Parts: sequence; structure tokens; C-alpha cells
Amino acid sequence: MVFKEFMQSLTKEGVEGEIIKTIFVSLITSFIVLGVFYFFRLKYIDNFIPKYGFYLFFAILSYALVLPSVRQVRAYREFSCMSGMMVGMTIGMIAGFLSGFYVGATNGMFWGSVFGMTVGIFFGAWNGKCCGIMGVMEGIMAGFMGGLMGAMTAIMMFNDNLKAAGVIVFIISTFIMIGLKFMIYKETRGVERKHRDGEFFVIFWSFVLTIITIWLSVFGPRSVLLQ
Amino acid sequence: MNEIEIKKSTLYIIGIIALVLISGFFFLKSGDGFVIGNLIGGSFNGEVQKVVIGMKNYNYYPNTIQLKVGIPVSISLDKSVSGCFRDFTIREFGVREYLRTPQDTIEFTPTKKGTYTFACSMGMGTGTLIIE
Repeated sequence: MVFKEFMQSLTKEGVEGEIIKTIFVSLITSFIVLGVFYFFRLKYIDNFIPKYGFYLFFAILSYALVLPSVRQVRAYREFSCMSGMMVGMTIGMIAGFLSGFYVGATNGMFWGSVFGMTVGIFFGAWNGKCCGIMGVMEGIMAGFMGGLMGAMTAIMMFNDNLKAAGVIVFIISTFIMIGLKFMIYKETRGVERKHRDGEFFVIFWSFVLTIITIWLSVFGPRSVLLQ
Repeated sequence: MNEIEIKKSTLYIIGIIALVLISGFFFLKSGDGFVIGNLIGGSFNGEVQKVVIGMKNYNYYPNTIQLKVGIPVSISLDKSVSGCFRDFTIREFGVREYLRTPQDTIEFTPTKKGTYTFACSMGMGTGTLIIE
């Protein structure tokens, strides 16, 4: 019953009503950035689409999956310890795993892990601080683990249906993030909104993450095995 | 008022679906990032069938090797092979050895005809042995 209310809230005003809009803004920003880069530079790279298209596409979808939760958490600011830890852990783990996975698939274990851990730890700690130091710790640990695991999974599946695994990983992450959004909705019923991020927040983070991912995947350093 | 809000969210959903479909159509074109199915035969000097395997796009290259049954085989990995790929295994013939340098070799005699798999110890790089 509560889940039905949550689904209805997605089409109304308020924090949850911004989730779909955030996904749309994030996707359109990232695809415009990728399209512009492709038109001016990337299309001259041999085999760009077969080599990088799939991973960049799913990396962009991943950012559109994570950013609405970040915006939702920031809107309420404060959570109980249990909820805050779950927020830090889920965002850190999923952000780290997905970015590590897709960059690991093009750049190898080391650079995939470094990027995944950076993204995971940053977003995990940032969002985990909604409940204080425990959430921050949880976010850091989850980002650290997710980043390493994402890159490692990609490398270990390199000769074994990597692209199918990429789709499966993304679908599972989608369900987890829907669960997190629902949990936040459930925990904050009746709580006043404390902060409002404009669309610029989503545009900025989508832009930054997409630019870094494109640069790292296509031009960045890569493991000796993938050179 | 409510009607307008619902239309807005519906429009966003349609926009998301359209974006994913259009960009997916463009960026998900198929193509293999690595090479599979390349074939080499062991070079035979009258005593031993010698095979040198390298590495390309994160797999053994060549990764299909044709050998003759009953004649000893010597396999080495060139310097392009690194990491766990140097821990070479052929399960069906009980072969597993860490080839530290390109000069190190694995020697065994294929005793039965058939198609077998060789791999690194973690199964990340694989290939096929065809014994005829």
C-alpha cells in the first residue's frame, strides 16, 4: 500500500516528484555531452562505438540512476542512524560498483578500481553524512568495496559474456536504487523538506561524471593487458 | 492543475524512454572488443610440436591450436603474456604450470583425440586445443 503511494508520489509535486525529472535532466545532459564529443572528436577514433559505446551508454544510465537518490537525500538532510547508514552504503556501493565496472571494462582493473572507488567513496560519504559519522564510514567502506568489486568483476568476465553481465548488473542496481528511493520516502513521510537543489545540481554532476568517464575510457591510462 | 502535473511527469517518462531508445540504437551497435577463433598449428621439428602463444585484447592469441595426437608438445608464452595468464592450465591433460619467462615451457604428450580447453588458472583467458 505504501509502495503504491510512493509510485503515485512520483507524479506529484515534492521531493519524490522530482525523481523522474532528475533522471530525464541527467540523461539529456550526459547524452548531449557525449553527442558533442562524438561529433567533434570521438567519431574519428577507430571502432569507437563497438569498443566504448556500450560501456559509456551504461555508465551514463548509471549516473542517471544514482543522482536522483543523491538529490532526494539532500532534500531531507537528516536521517536516523539506521536509515543514514543504509543510504551511505547503498549509494556508495552502487555508484562505486557501476562506475568501476564500466571503466574497468575499458581500462583494466587498476584504473577501473581507482575511478570506481573515487566515485563510490565520494558519493557514499557525502550522502552518508545525513546521519553523522556512522553514515560517512559506511559510505566510505561501501564505495571502497564497490569500486574494487566492479572493476574486478568486469576484468574477470572479459572473455565470458561481459556485455550481458553489464546489463544484468545494471538491472539489479536499478531495483536496489528503486528500493532505496522507496525507503527514503517511507522514512520521511510527514517530514518537511529542508533543502532544494535546482536542476543545475543535476546538470553539473552529470556533466562532470560523463566528461571524466569519456576521457578516462577513451584517452585515459589503461592496464598493460588492454593496450 | 493535477492534470497538468500528470502530463508533465508522463512527458518526462516518454522523454526518458525516447532518449534511452535513440541513444541505445546508436551506441549499442555490436562488435567484438577482442579476437576469438584464430587458428595456429604447432610447428613440428620431427620430435616436438612447438607452440608459442601471445596475448591480444585480453585473451590468448592465437587461441585455437591444432596438434597431432601422440607427439610431444612444447608450449611457451611470449613476453606479451602477463598476470595470471602466465599460469597456464590444460585440465584434461593434468597440465598446470606457471611460466615465469618466455623461455619456460610446458611439455606434455596429447594421448587422445578431441577438442579441449586451455585457460589461465583463473579462467579469465581461454582457448581451444584441437588434437587430431
